[in-house]
Amino acid sequence: MPIDHRARAAALREKAGGAAGQTDPALRQSILSRAAGGPALTAPYDALVTHVAEASYRVTDGEVAAVRAATGSDKAAFEVVMTAAIGAALLRFDRATAALEQAEYAPR
Amino acid sequence: MRLAEIERGDSLGHRALIGFISMVSGMRLPDAARVAFYHRDFLGGTLGEWTHETMRGDSPWTISERELMAAMVASWNECPFCIGAHRAIAIKGMPRDIADQTLADYRTAPIAEPLRATLGFLETMTRTPKTLGPADARALLEAGVTSAALADAIAVATLFAIITRYANALAFAIPTGAEFDKAATMLLRRGYR
Repeated sequence: MPIDHRARAAALREKAGGAAGQTDPALRQSILSRAAGGPALTAPYDALVTHVAEASYRVTDGEVAAVRAATGSDKAAFEVVMTAAIGAALLRFDRATAALEQAEYAPR
Repeated sequence: MRLAEIERGDSLGHRALIGFISMVSGMRLPDAARVAFYHRDFLGGTLGEWTHETMRGDSPWTISERELMAAMVASWNECPFCIGAHRAIAIKGMPRDIADQTLADYRTAPIAEPLRATLGFLETMTRTPKTLGPADARALLEAGVTSAALADAIAVATLFAIITRYANALAFAIPTGAEFDKAATMLLRRGYR
């Protein structure tokens, strides 16, 4: 049976922006949005989140350390990194899945 | 590794497990595995389960083809850890020179046309996702890629859009070639859960 990737993506989006983390879910929801091209965040989050989303190989020790200091724990900083990565990835999933669905159903 | 608690483990049990696996395997446990053990309350297995199903479950693509797609996404995202890790798994089931020619230039590598066309779609999805449209997908369907195959490939590229980003952002330590090979054997056997 094929995997229901849409359901897996929705579950991941819900977890990343949900109540289970140490950081405020509202912050993580704004990170998901920012990583997909949404409005800027406050410092120090914006620099790290945009780098993770657009050019993760350019993330610096200082960007991670600044978010670690602002959030107060490694787990919270980890949540920021993971949520940014998930936001950038779900933008790609949504665009690619929409392209496939339109190709399957739309007349030429 | 930029967050020390991930490197050492966030509970006594995880610290013991990291030490035990490192001892038994004779190599430092790669950072990807340390992340998989870390702060499990947060995502609750949603990422690991989806990754395992996508990379090891039933699919029109072989495991090696999916691992090669992962290595290609890593290449486009400039993630040396993930290139090394997933190339090493891919070549357990396909000739090394084909994997390496694909990584060097998939447009000219001696691979099947449906795989080549799919890699073209995944490159656009990875680099310039907002330019993707139905014409990109329609071209694949006309080239003989089924909807199910494209959906699975999209999932591989989505998951490695995540994994490459956190591997880079957290500055994963890069294993040696021999260590990548040893880890590949474990990942083939155990998967991603």
